[in-house]
Amino acid sequence: MPTIAIDAMGGDHAPEEIVRGVAQVSRESDIQCILVGNEAVIQRHLEETSYRPEKLSIVHAPTAIGMAEDPREAIRAKKDCSLLVGTALVAAGRADAMVSAGNTGACVLACAKTFRVIRGIRKTALASVYPRKVEYPGQDPLALLLDVGATIRCQSDELAQFGIMGAAYAKRISKVPTPRVALLNMGSEANKGGDVLASAYELMQKLPGLNFVGNIEGNDLARGKADVIVCEGLLGNVVLKLIEGVSEVVLDLASYAAHQHLAWRLGLSMLASGIRQLRDLTDYRNYGGSPILGFENIFIKSHGRSNARAIGNAVKVAAKAVRDSVPAEIAASVALGR
Amino acid sequence: MPGPGVARGGDAGAGAAAPEAVTVFRWDLDKTYLRTDFDSVRDLLRVPFETAAQKIHVPGVAELLRALRRGNPSRPRKALVYFLTASPPQIAGPIRDKFALDGVEVDGIVFKNQLQILMRGNFRGLREQVGFKLTELLRARIEAPEGVHEYLFGDDWESDAILYSLYADVVRGAVDPGELERLLALLAVDREWRRGIAALAEKLTPGDVVRRIFIHLERESPLGGFRAFGRRLVAAFNYFQTAVCLYEEAEIDLDGVEAVARALITREGYTRAMLENSLDDVRRRGHVGEETHRRLTRDLAERGLVPWRRRSLVRRMREGIGRWRVARRGSASGDAVSALDYAAVIAAWKESR
Repeated sequence: MPTIAIDAMGGDHAPEEIVRGVAQVSRESDIQCILVGNEAVIQRHLEETSYRPEKLSIVHAPTAIGMAEDPREAIRAKKDCSLLVGTALVAAGRADAMVSAGNTGACVLACAKTFRVIRGIRKTALASVYPRKVEYPGQDPLALLLDVGATIRCQSDELAQFGIMGAAYAKRISKVPTPRVALLNMGSEANKGGDVLASAYELMQKLPGLNFVGNIEGNDLARGKADVIVCEGLLGNVVLKLIEGVSEVVLDLASYAAHQHLAWRLGLSMLASGIRQLRDLTDYRNYGGSPILGFENIFIKSHGRSNARAIGNAVKVAAKAVRDSVPAEIAASVALGR
Repeated sequence: MPGPGVARGGDAGAGAAAPEAVTVFRWDLDKTYLRTDFDSVRDLLRVPFETAAQKIHVPGVAELLRALRRGNPSRPRKALVYFLTASPPQIAGPIRDKFALDGVEVDGIVFKNQLQILMRGNFRGLREQVGFKLTELLRARIEAPEGVHEYLFGDDWESDAILYSLYADVVRGAVDPGELERLLALLAVDREWRRGIAALAEKLTPGDVVRRIFIHLERESPLGGFRAFGRRLVAAFNYFQTAVCLYEEAEIDLDGVEAVARALITREGYTRAMLENSLDDVRRRGHVGEETHRRLTRDLAERGLVPWRRRSLVRRMREGIGRWRVARRGSASGDAVSALDYAAVIAAWKESR
């Protein structure tokens, strides 16, 4: 059974929701969880919910990094913070993976400080899953987008490696035998988007074992044309936030309409199950979290606003990544592409 | 003399004059010793027809009872084990056979004679739990010699936490007759039982005899719900945790703890990490002291029951400071108990039902 370290102090709703989520996991799965953070505080929150102590331990960390703190400064100053203590547990082999809903920049830096980068990897990437249209039965309703913020600007070979890492992750986690990888660009032609993207296109086309399907544009993101979409961190982060924003606006509009006219309300109530499905599909809490790829160890970054359900799902995703040996798959794919 | 609706097996009290130190262990049966399913009417109807072999005990409980009987050589005493159950005496045979099968020696079992209660036309009495059990506990206490202390074992299925705590405080003389009457009324105890309980309470010689109350968390109730009961009550997720607490009290020895741990490994698939986590959990909750925790971790690791952990100098220093703080604060198993706010406890319990 995998052992997952969880940063109990990271996130907008930490530690209550983190502790509740992990407590729930302890009751319904065989995953061993280590809650990292202030022991007394964690214990107090644990006692307010049902849990199984057999599958849950606490490792004390006296400090924590706040969501608004400068990541670089915080990592330098708080050596005993829950995030670094957690990653150290993973690096030392006491845990198999780490989950945090805390400060994203600090998470990436903590990984860089504690974990070893997979041999051959030039830059690590923060990936994220998002819902999209399915084109054929059985297709995963989630696509993987990377990078979404770990590496702001990238070189062409780094983008190509993101494609390799994303494909390896999708192969193991989404069980897609040959994931379709695309490059996010402003046109489908190979020479579009400037030198870096054009060069990345060329590189990815030549990579053995990579099912590269070419460039896709923004309007194709929500379609099922690709399973893995590669872009540099700045663009990826904008796309991710845009998807979240659109989903929230749609639901807000539905709520607004329901309050305006009885007829609209009746119409919406007839559409209720469809709207619920849409909401579930776009709800980040269902996906749990996204991996930081490129390290020998697994790190799942949860949404900062994660609640108990999101954390529980993130722990399960981490356990799945451990069971499916994602870093080993990435290492093998990178070695093949060299 | 047994009261109305009571059937006894063996000597249900603590016996006559005790020539040596005696400790009484009083146990509930269903959900505490036996994994009885009575979640549905079908389950309820099946229970009376189960044979001893069909009855399943909670993992580790038989080993714990055997360890309690054996005791701890460092503190010799005689152990008396009694069961008190609201089950009818008609199931006494299979229950005794079950104890025999498990190698558990029992000094007495009190059943609730539902048939007799029915014949008396007391239909409310059929559902009565608190009144019946409190009556029997007090009666047994009166018959016990002075100075005999007790450990009580129940579960979170019904009202064992309130019942046992109230019993302990009545025996301690911490609940005056008027308050007792009021609390029993709040607990919806029948007037006839209330009168009997008041009469028995008057006969008691006050004494702080209940050392600890163990509540087996069969329903996985949140621990926060037990905070109001104070440190005398230990809510335990498994019998290894109970064994660890009883080890600290020197009621069982290390072999006893090991036997319970091995039962959990064999029957429930516990791993070394799961045992270690259980041990750490009772330490964090303050039910065992740092010193006991450290010693048990080391001794159980030597016996291959918990993982070896290389502790850094910093960690050892931190633990040392923790031990020093605990020593200043007093033992984790300190018995000083102030009177509980029963009205609030009962209100919270009713709300949770």
